[in-house]
Amino acid sequence: MANDSIWKRLISSLDPRHYNIERWSYTLHRITGVVLILFLIAHMVEIFHISLGPESWAATLALLGRLGPLENIGLWIIAGCVFYHGANGLRLLLNQVFGLLLGKPRMPVYPYTPTSLGKNQRIAIWTITAVVSGIWIWAGLYILAGLGIV
Amino acid sequence: MTEVMDFDVVIVGSGLAGLRAALQIMKNDEGKLGIRVAIISKLYLMRSHSVSAEGGTSAVLYPEEGDSMELYAWDTIKGSDFLADQDVVWRFVNLATDEIRLLERIGLPWNRRKDGKIEQRWFGGLSFPRATYAQDKSGFFMMRALYDTLLQYDNWERFDEYFVTSMVIEGGKFKGFTAIELKTGKMVFFKGKAGIIATGGNGQLWRITATASSTTGDGYGIAYMAGLPLEDMEFVQFHPTGLVPKGLLITEAARGEGGYLINAEGERFMKRYAPSKMELAPRDIVSRAEMMEIAQGRAATDKVSGLAHLWIDLRHLGKEKIEKKLPMIRELGLKNLGIDLAEAPLPVRPTAHYTMGGIRTDIDGKVLNDGHGSVDGLWAAGESACVSVHGSNRLGSNSTIECLVYGAIVGDGIYKYLEQHRDKDTALPKERVDSEENRIFNGILGKESGGEDVYQIKNELKDTMESNVHVYRTEEGLRTALVKIQELKKRYRNIRVDDHRPTLNYNLQHALELGFMLEQAEVVTMGAYLRKESRGAHARLDYKVRDDQHWLVHSLAWYTPEGPQFKYIPVNITMWKPVARVY
Amino acid sequence: MNGSDEIILRVRRFDGTREWWQSYQIGLTGVTSVLDLLNKVREEKDHTLAFRQSCHMGTCGSCGMVINGKPRLACQTNISELDAGVVNVEPMHNSPVIKDLVVGLDSLIENHKKVKPYIIRGKKEEIFYAPREFEVTQEGTTQFLQFDYCIMCNLCISACPTVTIDPLFLGPQALGQAFRYLADPRDEGWAERLELVDDDHGIWRCHFAGACSYVCPKDVDPAKAIQLMKKELLKKRLLIRRGKKGAEITEPLQPHFTEEKLTAAPPLDFKRGD
Repeated sequence: MANDSIWKRLISSLDPRHYNIERWSYTLHRITGVVLILFLIAHMVEIFHISLGPESWAATLALLGRLGPLENIGLWIIAGCVFYHGANGLRLLLNQVFGLLLGKPRMPVYPYTPTSLGKNQRIAIWTITAVVSGIWIWAGLYILAGLGIV
Repeated sequence: MTEVMDFDVVIVGSGLAGLRAALQIMKNDEGKLGIRVAIISKLYLMRSHSVSAEGGTSAVLYPEEGDSMELYAWDTIKGSDFLADQDVVWRFVNLATDEIRLLERIGLPWNRRKDGKIEQRWFGGLSFPRATYAQDKSGFFMMRALYDTLLQYDNWERFDEYFVTSMVIEGGKFKGFTAIELKTGKMVFFKGKAGIIATGGNGQLWRITATASSTTGDGYGIAYMAGLPLEDMEFVQFHPTGLVPKGLLITEAARGEGGYLINAEGERFMKRYAPSKMELAPRDIVSRAEMMEIAQGRAATDKVSGLAHLWIDLRHLGKEKIEKKLPMIRELGLKNLGIDLAEAPLPVRPTAHYTMGGIRTDIDGKVLNDGHGSVDGLWAAGESACVSVHGSNRLGSNSTIECLVYGAIVGDGIYKYLEQHRDKDTALPKERVDSEENRIFNGILGKESGGEDVYQIKNELKDTMESNVHVYRTEEGLRTALVKIQELKKRYRNIRVDDHRPTLNYNLQHALELGFMLEQAEVVTMGAYLRKESRGAHARLDYKVRDDQHWLVHSLAWYTPEGPQFKYIPVNITMWKPVARVY
Repeated sequence: MNGSDEIILRVRRFDGTREWWQSYQIGLTGVTSVLDLLNKVREEKDHTLAFRQSCHMGTCGSCGMVINGKPRLACQTNISELDAGVVNVEPMHNSPVIKDLVVGLDSLIENHKKVKPYIIRGKKEEIFYAPREFEVTQEGTTQFLQFDYCIMCNLCISACPTVTIDPLFLGPQALGQAFRYLADPRDEGWAERLELVDDDHGIWRCHFAGACSYVCPKDVDPAKAIQLMKKELLKKRLLIRRGKKGAEITEPLQPHFTEEKLTAAPPLDFKRGD
């Protein structure tokens, strides 16, 4: 595997099967992060057209309008990415900057269950999942309402 | 042509003794002579079997609390059944203290008392609780501390996964080692002004053993085949508490902390064998007691393996104490048998553990070539050496400290030797290296088909040793074993290696190890056959008592093509005359 | 488990050029762990199978491999806990395969060395020439004990997704060991070591997937060590903390290995009654 191409290695680094839930959340965090970056770039290109004058801006909006319901669905996915990446990012801040939710150094007791992947971490992850899913569904109702899908 | 690696010091074996010697050389040198050291291991450097040492290591730390050097020396000598060389023991106990403290200062997490002092506990055969410990992973932490500390020096080089096949001595002077680089399958010659053999013991000769699959006693084989004598090889320690069925080690500290040994009737049987020390008698006595219980039908039987065994019971110690002081054996029980020793007793029986004998050295760790002269430039330390600190029975907690003390002494001795030997020796023993290359690559690896299977012979050897050269020995059993070993040796000459690829040829490595093992097995068995008394770990059912008049002697064995040649030399008795050994 | 049971062992093999899966069907008599199984195959079926092993008790760190998708020690993985009729064994990921299940460990060893894994003191000579031990409490020891359990088995490196992407990453093993010495009450290399790990391929490469701690057979919990070290590094950067004073030894230094001790005369007046 060490000799594989970068793409193959990238994919395998994002494959959390056989691993812990934190690694699933790592995968999601990376993917949502990349989606958000792509969106931000696209968004910057979009609003760049404002500086080119009203006709250019109108043409951009018309182009987006041609996407139809895809635009709403896309926005909904972006919203999901924002919610997840933001909430999970808060957890990672607690972990990495404040050293919280990790447990203290301790005397190991068999069978070993690492405290950094312990109860606090699980509670945080499942809370994030629940809250993000809730908000996302609500956002879905809001964003997709006009489409007649919901 | 074979590649030549040229160093000042070549250390074979990267366990505690080897690493401690290297550290001593680095510390003495600090760039003064620019000594270059090679450390060779057939595993990776930090994986030597020293990591599996568990319970503790002895030293007099706080004499104001009642311990003394004299008491430690006495315990060691009495434990050895008076076969230890007493001048050696005296030096050994005097140097032990500094080693414990040095290891603390390089990072070892010894267990501590409330007042910040280093905690010590009881071990078998001690008159004072002086086994210093870091949980029950003492050897592991020692190895970690030494290995890590060595990483700050850069005048040494590591040779991981090199298998040393022979040693070259010419004109009474050490020249170097031939080795196979396992990753490439190439022969390499390690040329050195000084060499250290620190390869550990040979527990793999037995079926049930506490030792790693790497402990095949290669160092003994290398020295023996180079014409050097092995001393006291008939004394093999069987640890009383090997976990059934494989024999993994349940540390003596389990008893040191207050654990009970019980038989199938639930009785603490040690009261019959060592009424005052009970479970804390030395290992030879406890192992014999267990075998006696088994012989007299008071043992339980393991359902899966069918092995007879006793129980070690720690339930009364409480879970908290076990987790704090004995976490590893709890893990072993849970992992291997699914038994938590805080809740149920563990099945145990004697397991091959330690070789008291070894390469004969003088008090400075220099290897001796006969009763008197030493090999110029060759040292041995640790379990592979026989100085002799342990005599016929080693006390628990004395092995790791011997590795440290003698590692340091040897390192120091080599530094002094090199201060006086700055000249460069350019001669190469080309013929010897070529013939070794020929022996292995054409003789063993070159055989295309037919021949004997490595693992078949190895398994037969292990079974023979397990049933005949064990805790109790008889003339008949030993003779049976000798005949079998000689037959196996004959079959070995026609050995076959199935793997013909050069890279990581473990099959070839096992074949070479087996060659060493067969030679050692013969020395152990023949030595036991000839020694017509019972002393320490050597217990003969047909000669039940210790015979100081005839047998207060070290045995020395030399290689001959017909089998080992034996000679006996007196024990150095400087402090205490032998008395009856009762616990 | 019944003695007459059989199991299929599939091994990912490699001979230097060719890679393939090889299956062996083998009885379970006398077999507890995956390592037992491999040994049985090597002794009875195929002498050419290459894998590392040594202590058989989870202390030496030799037998790391990927078993049914997860990096584990073969000697510490019982067949019964796998709960599968087929055992799939592959070499560890993220390290170059040399032969069959054996991988090269050069980067493990080099990275470990890079973080200065030893006690650093302001006065270096204290290490060899102090007359006694540092005064440290059991609580002080607990601050680093867990991280000192590391057996260098390479499993965490095999599991780490960051190592997969950035082969130059210091990796969970080395970073965990950096923290082990950082947290040691005797060590004074706090600032020095933090600068070492703050590198392009250093501590900030870790995004806390926690896979290292998940596969660690010894509860070293490298993920915890690394996150706690990030906090220390931030403290240093924000000038909240500037350094660390180690435990002390006040007695004067003295030679450790003296002629006197080597040649001590035996006691003459000591009598032992028993």
